[in-house]
Order: sequence, then C-alpha cells, then structure tokens
Amino acid sequence: MASVQFSNLEKNYGTTPVVKKINLEIEHGEFIVLLGPSGCGKSTTLRMLAGLESISGGDIYIGDELVNDLHPIERNIAMVFQSYALYPHMTVAQNIGFSLENLKVEKSLRETMVRDVAEVLELTPLLDRKPKDLSGGQRQRVAMGRAMVRTPEVFLFDEPLSNLDAKLRGQMRKEIKALHQKVQTTVIYVTHDQVEAMTLADRIVILNQGKIEQVGRPKEIFDAPKNVFVAKFIGAPEMNIFALSNEQMFSDFELSNINHSGMSIGIRPQNLFLNKKEVKGDQISFIDAEVTGTELLGSSLHIECKYQDKKLVVETATIDTSIKGDIRLYFNKTQTHLFDQNSNTIPR
Amino acid sequence: MSNLIKKDKVIAYVVVSLGAVIMLAPFYFMFVFASHSNSGILSVPPPIFFGDYIVENFNTLIDFLPYFWHNIGLSLFVAVVTTILNLLFCSLAGYAFAMFDFKFKNFLFVGIMATMLLPPFLGMIPTAMIMSQIGWMNDPKALIIPAACGAMGIFMMRQFIASAIPKELVEAARMDGCREFKIYYRVVIPLITPAFGTLGLITFIGSWNNFMGPLVVMNDMKMFTIPLALRALQGTGQIPWGAVAIGAAIAVLPLLFLFVIASRRLIDGLTAGAVKG
Ligand SMILES: Nc1ncnc2c1ncn2[C@@H]1O[C@H](COP(=O)(O)OP(=O)(O)O)[C@@H](O)[C@H]1O
Ligand SMILES: [Mg+2]
Repeated sequence: MASVQFSNLEKNYGTTPVVKKINLEIEHGEFIVLLGPSGCGKSTTLRMLAGLESISGGDIYIGDELVNDLHPIERNIAMVFQSYALYPHMTVAQNIGFSLENLKVEKSLRETMVRDVAEVLELTPLLDRKPKDLSGGQRQRVAMGRAMVRTPEVFLFDEPLSNLDAKLRGQMRKEIKALHQKVQTTVIYVTHDQVEAMTLADRIVILNQGKIEQVGRPKEIFDAPKNVFVAKFIGAPEMNIFALSNEQMFSDFELSNINHSGMSIGIRPQNLFLNKKEVKGDQISFIDAEVTGTELLGSSLHIECKYQDKKLVVETATIDTSIKGDIRLYFNKTQTHLFDQNSNTIPR
Repeated sequence: MSNLIKKDKVIAYVVVSLGAVIMLAPFYFMFVFASHSNSGILSVPPPIFFGDYIVENFNTLIDFLPYFWHNIGLSLFVAVVTTILNLLFCSLAGYAFAMFDFKFKNFLFVGIMATMLLPPFLGMIPTAMIMSQIGWMNDPKALIIPAACGAMGIFMMRQFIASAIPKELVEAARMDGCREFKIYYRVVIPLITPAFGTLGLITFIGSWNNFMGPLVVMNDMKMFTIPLALRALQGTGQIPWGAVAIGAAIAVLPLLFLFVIASRRLIDGLTAGAVKG
C-alpha cells in the first residue's frame, strides 16, 4: 500500500550525470513503466528506489516516508532482476522462501506461503529442483515468486522478460498483468521494449539520457507525443518526421498560413493511405511520392518512398509488392504532428 | 585417428611416465630406507626392496626425538588452525575486494599484492624480534597469527568470487532482507566451496611443510614442528638415516591422505577462473 515519489532525483557516476533531476509521482497501485533506450538511466533509477544505489541528489518517498538513507530491508520493496539472480545452491522452495526466513517467519507458515505462491505460478512440481535444472521461463517464474511471497509495498521489475524468447515473453506479459490486477500493489517496471510498455502500463514514463521526456497513458503518448524523441521512440515502424524545407511542402500540408522556420512535420506510417476511401475523417489531404522499395512483412507491406528528397515509409494492409513509380498518399490532416525548431510538439 | 597422432600420444605417455618415476623415486626410497639399518642404507648398491629393520628405526627415532608425537600434534594443530583462519579472513577480504566499492580500494589491493614480492626470509629477523618482544617465543600463536591471512589467498578468493558470484545475486539477497554478514555466510560461502578446498589444501600443505617460520620462533625441542624436529635429527654426529626416513615417512602421511581425497579438487581449483566455464 504505497505511493512513490521522486523529487529532483539525481545520480552521478563520478562527474557523469546519469539521472538528471527526475520528478515523478506514482500513485498507490499504479503500474508504471519506465521506458527508454539502453543506457538512459532506467536501471539506475530503479536501483536508487530499491536502495541498492546511493542517491547523488534529491529525495525519494515511499508513502509519506523519506527513504533516501534507508537500507533495502527497511524499504519493503521486492525486485525481479533481469538475470533472475536465483540462488544456485538453493532449491526453488528455498529460493522463494528465503526472504521469509530472513523475516523470521515460522517454518510451517513459511512452507504454506511458499506453496501458495508456487500454486499461483504453477511451480508446485518444481519446488525441489535447483535453478540450473529449470528452463528460462521457469526461472523467471521463480524470480517472480520470490518477489511475491512477502507482501511488499512496491514491486520492481528490471527488464524481466528480455532473456526470454518472443512467444514466452507474450505469455509472461499477460501473467504479469494478471498478477498486478490480483495483488493491486504498486509496480515499477523497466523495459526498452515499447510493446511491453504499451500493453502493461497504466502510465508510461519515457526516459532519455537521464531525463523524463514524457509521462502519460499509453494511448496519450502514442497519439500526442510531446516531442520528436517520443514520437520516434513509440510506434513501429517509426514516425516519418522531416524538416519542412520548401514552399511545396508547406502547401501540401496546408501550413502556408503558419510562418515558422525550422519546423518539421511528422506522420505515422499507418496514417498514410494509397486510397482516399481508406482515410477516416474529413480533413483529407495528399502528397505525391515515388516508390523506392518495398518490404513484405507477412500481413502488411512497408512501402519506402521518396517525397521531396525526404524518405517516407508507408504501412499498408495490401500485400501487392509490385507497386512502383509515382503514387499519391492520402492522410487525415489531424493525424500529422508539427514540431518546432527545438523538436517540441506545436499544439494544434 | 592418424598414425601421426598415435605416435605423438605414445611419446607423450613415455615422457610423462618417465617424469612420474623420477618424481616418485625419492618417495619410494624414503619408505624402503625406513625399513633398513644404517649400514644397509649406506651399502653400495643401496637396497631397493623393503627390509625388516622398521621397529628398530622407530625406536631410534623416539630416542633422538622424545617429543616426536607432540611435534606431530603441534604441526597438525598449527596447520589446521592456520587453514581455518586463512579460509575465513581471505574469503572475507576477497569478497570485499570483489563486491564492494570503498575508499582506497585499489591502493589497498595493490599494497596487499605487493607483499607477495617480499622474499619470506627477509622477515625472519624482524619476526624473531617482534615475537620475543611480545613474549610469543615457543608459542604456537607465533606461527598461527602471522599466517592467518595472506596475499595469495586474498587474491585467489577475489578472483574466484568475482567470477563465480554475480553482483545481482548479492543484491537479490539484500532485497530479500539479508544483512551483510548473513549474505556472506548464506549466499557467498556455499558458492565458493571449491575455492575453499583449493586454498585450504594449499594453506595446510604450506603450514605443514613450513621450515623457516618455526625455525625462528621455536627453540624449545618440545615446541618444534615436524620439519624442524626431523632436521634436528640430522644435526647429531652419526646421522641415523633409517630413523630420518621413518620420521619423514610418518610426516608425509597426512599430506598423502589429503592428496588422495582432494587431488582432483586441487587441480580443478587451480585452473578455475582461468577460463570462464
Ligand atoms: N557503476 C557505474 N559506474 C559508472 N557508470 C555507470 C555505472 N552503472 C551505470 N552506469 C552508466 O549509467 C548509465 C545508465 O545506466 P543504466 O541505468 O544501467 O541504464 P539502462 O538501465 O537505462 O540501460 C549508462 O550510461 C551506464 O554506462
Ligand atoms: Mg538496465
């Protein structure tokens, strides 16, 4: 039962700032995903909250308590590590029960609690095995079981699925979601995978080079990215963004009345259409482009085009790879994004 | 398999066998001489099979070294305690150097490693002076305490821990509510038993065979360790070779016993960490 608050949180390694004055309020029971490219400071932020890393500046609150200088034990946080970090010399049951043992929970009660958790995670037949005799997915479950068995204030996950294959990842994603709905504890989940972020998060926090770029619900972040970084980071294939460098472009996008230098425009590959009929809404516009290549991805086709010397990608449901030459691409004007010279979104 | 490889193998076996014979011959003759009289041993050619003089030799040994069993016992005591202390302190220091960041860490580590460069006999006179100052002459403490921790052991433990224990494992234990010392004995120790075996063996053998250390601090014959006692046997005019041989044979038995049960582990441990596997 706890909220979490970062206030001007900072971390420097030597003179290198890694986390730069982060401010964030997380409500009790929320599922927060920290999303960002590798090296942006996600793990460091999480580890500072866990108490595994010292804080260079700012404050961390769990509930109403300032925890800056508390030992991990006193923070009552559970963490699932990327490498699982299971104790190789202990059985599955001992791994799950270790924290209870440290809390001096009586043996019979401990065994019941371990068995209950094992039941939920379908680990019961494996309780006497050592970690080396488990598959990747099973190890992942044990790591989760170890976190679940005591009732922590906050669950931390550091890229817990990145060592699993794609199929297992999808399955575990669902289980983590289900788990959260069941225990209703605050979860902070670190990943660089936008699919995990979109599917799991109540709110996504986009981190870049130690700074928060945007905080919002998944749909909000997808539909209304605050800047070029977020616009490009979320969505696949990434949003087409290019500088408005000549009059033709201003008139194509019907921006002639706006007079900004250094502006760029963005439109997602899914929002460009070959047929006018496919475009939803009524503010329909078009651009003329030239096909330079195609890439078939089973159910969809990526068409690479050139428009006014800029490269564009269009994603369509047609799988006709013979498309070539000049094409006309239709779009809804409300689905374009306009960025100023500082790469920030211009609200429209 | 080609003939060439077969031939190589044969040559390798011959060379290794020859080496083994050369290495083992002194051991064999030690046991053979233990069962012959002085004149038998000194005859030309020397005996190569066991004789029947073993009881007499043993009696001579006890005549010359009335504290022989005490000497053995003291050696054993010193070796066992030194080994236990070494395992404890070297693993603690190695763990700290492998897992924690603290001030002057690199400086300290280099300092400790540098002590390996000093030749041991350089410390003989200072050790004797210090021990007589604090009144530890003829006291096993004088052998145990200076040898309770060593640079080689710390280095070995640090290397082993750094390769065998991922940092996240220690952190996981911390998240699971372990205090630091409990992490050490519940998570670290169980995972470094192979290194314990190797370091334990090396330390035990080193202590058992140590000659120079006791030479400086032990001058009461009762407090001699076994290498010192056997050496004393040779300083007595007419050297009783048969007694020397049987004393040496008895002194070698504990090591032989250790080797039989642990040789595999010793070899594994010495190469562990060399390649990650
Ligand atoms: N112990 C450390 N010493 C120095 N730099 C570090 C240390 N740990 C992490 N860093 C640096 O901090 C940055 C952020 O790391 P991290 O939080 O692990 O990133 P992420 O988890 O987002 O991939 C990286 O550039 C990394 O190189
Ligand atoms: Mg990370």
